[in-house]
Amino acid sequence: MRGTITAEDAIAEPEVRPAARRLAVRFPGLTRRRVITAGVLIAIGLIPVAVDAVSKSTFWQYIGAYIAVWAMLELSVVVITGYGGLISLMPFTFVGIGCFAAGLAVSVWGWPFWLAVPFAAAATMPISIAVGAASVRLKGLYLAIATLTFASALGETLFKWDAFTGGQAGHTIARPTLGPLDFSGGFAFYALTMAVALILIWMVHGLKSSRAGRAMLAVRDNEREAQALGINATKAKLTALVIGGALAGVGGAFYLALLGSPAPAGFQSPYVDVSSVLLVVWAVIGGIESAFGAFLGAFALISQQQVFQGAEKLFVFIGVYAALVLVVFLIFRPGGFVQVVKIQADRIRANPARGIPEAVGLVAINVFVIWLIIHFGTVASKT
Amino acid sequence: MPDVLPSEGSAGGPVLEIDAVTVRFGGITALDGVSMAIHPGEIVGLLGPNGAGKTTLFNAVSGFIKPEAGRVLLHGAEIQRLFPYERVAAGLGRTFQHVRLFRGLTVEENLLAAQHRHLSASPLAAMLRLRSWRRDEDEAHELVERMLDTVNLRPWRERYPWELSYGTLRFLELAAVLSLRPNVLLLDEPATGIQQKEVEALGPMLRRIRDDTGCAIFLIEHDMGLLMGTSERIYALDFGRVIAEGTPKDVSADSQVLESYLGRTRREEAAGA
Repeated sequence: MRGTITAEDAIAEPEVRPAARRLAVRFPGLTRRRVITAGVLIAIGLIPVAVDAVSKSTFWQYIGAYIAVWAMLELSVVVITGYGGLISLMPFTFVGIGCFAAGLAVSVWGWPFWLAVPFAAAATMPISIAVGAASVRLKGLYLAIATLTFASALGETLFKWDAFTGGQAGHTIARPTLGPLDFSGGFAFYALTMAVALILIWMVHGLKSSRAGRAMLAVRDNEREAQALGINATKAKLTALVIGGALAGVGGAFYLALLGSPAPAGFQSPYVDVSSVLLVVWAVIGGIESAFGAFLGAFALISQQQVFQGAEKLFVFIGVYAALVLVVFLIFRPGGFVQVVKIQADRIRANPARGIPEAVGLVAINVFVIWLIIHFGTVASKT
Repeated sequence: MPDVLPSEGSAGGPVLEIDAVTVRFGGITALDGVSMAIHPGEIVGLLGPNGAGKTTLFNAVSGFIKPEAGRVLLHGAEIQRLFPYERVAAGLGRTFQHVRLFRGLTVEENLLAAQHRHLSASPLAAMLRLRSWRRDEDEAHELVERMLDTVNLRPWRERYPWELSYGTLRFLELAAVLSLRPNVLLLDEPATGIQQKEVEALGPMLRRIRDDTGCAIFLIEHDMGLLMGTSERIYALDFGRVIAEGTPKDVSADSQVLESYLGRTRREEAAGA
């Protein structure tokens, strides 16, 4: 616990400032490291706000909200595949159900958005249970194929059923309000989605160190041994699916609020399958076993899409790029970005004089790659 | 092991009863009407050549395969229709011939996972950090701390199973299964793949586990020294049938056992000499 101030330290060390000392005594969880981390994260979170303030737009806050919503979707993959070990290739189908259910509730039944969110979460449950029933018999690749087929079937039926989806345009909704709070503005909606995403990350992170979470991890690693140690494997899988499905449902509701209409999201086959695979791929790159990995994965996914959209001529290579990144991570850093961050944090802690320049170098290399892509992408489009 | 709670005694009768259990794989009869009884606090050995049906018997008792006929009774209650995890709740614990445990979890997390049946907090309680989750976690960590000391695994607590020697892994598995506080412990070749020094320590350790917890131990083992020295009673199995039963002395003198198992070893030794 280097670099932290505990309540005991604060009392023992006279050089700690009285205000800090009072805080540390009052909130023993409020360590210096956590305060610094929170400060850095808030500063990063305010970057899009600052950029937009300068350029007088809300574009980067919209992208920020996009990342927050996709982080919610990635959380679903973390719970089902990362924790539960179930290779489901239909996460975006769950999102679609949440999205359409929320649209139906708000625009047809006139429910407030805040009631539509839990409804969207609950609406995914029948599908979760169906996949859970299949997962009792099907393992690994077979389950993956079964979910892909199931997703296509739903994409062709449920997602083409106009009463549910609202037809071609879809059920459109306005951004939510809560009493005097109006979340339709760029900053307000960005702050709302980011807050929800962070709360969900905190919740999923807590799940990992609990009876239910360890049961999922145990069943994932060795189903036979888990059962021999008194764990109900079927229940563990079903729990992962229901929680993961609910997260996708919540994400779907916020996705609808972000877009305003489900039509652009492309929930019909084959778009839904492409998005599902994208979710799984970037969950792995982010760090599929970690709730924070969900956020990093969403961040990387949305960022690369933005970068390639800026580089029109290279846009066709976006899939190649993603595949390359995935392969590199699977070989060198199977724990994804979370592992990269952890390793670098350890190196900084061990030797800041070497670790910090290294971290800056890593970021610089990435910025350079992004610059290269944009540079050659746009130059090529001009000639 | 004073930390592990004593098993509930059952009035008089056997704690585990195997009644005419038959298991067939296709046309092969792996177990043919096998009947056995294990009494509370007994250490019983199971002897037999490879393919005799020893592990199949353990699988049938612990619920990993369904017998075609016969009954399995724990504390006098039929358990043959229960799922493996339900048999654990009824008081049965088992280890496997090939230990793997949970490779993505540290030693400490493996043992935390083994506390499953003693905990109760819901997933939602964990996600919202409710008091019931906090209580659960405190209890689980306390139990694991004690277990780490009991089996001397403290130096490895942050390590992963694949970083451990096979012997240490065996002790980890034993610690995990003891966390269940079983009344009957089925051990499938606990001495396989571990050093001779650890094998020698295993006999006294098993007896200590029995003395401290009162649980009965049913043991498959190819190490004759360990099996004969630790077991109070032995069943010999061959071609899916019980061919002998009695004290280690009686069984090792039994002509059928000599022929099917020990005799073969002696003939091999004679051939080798």
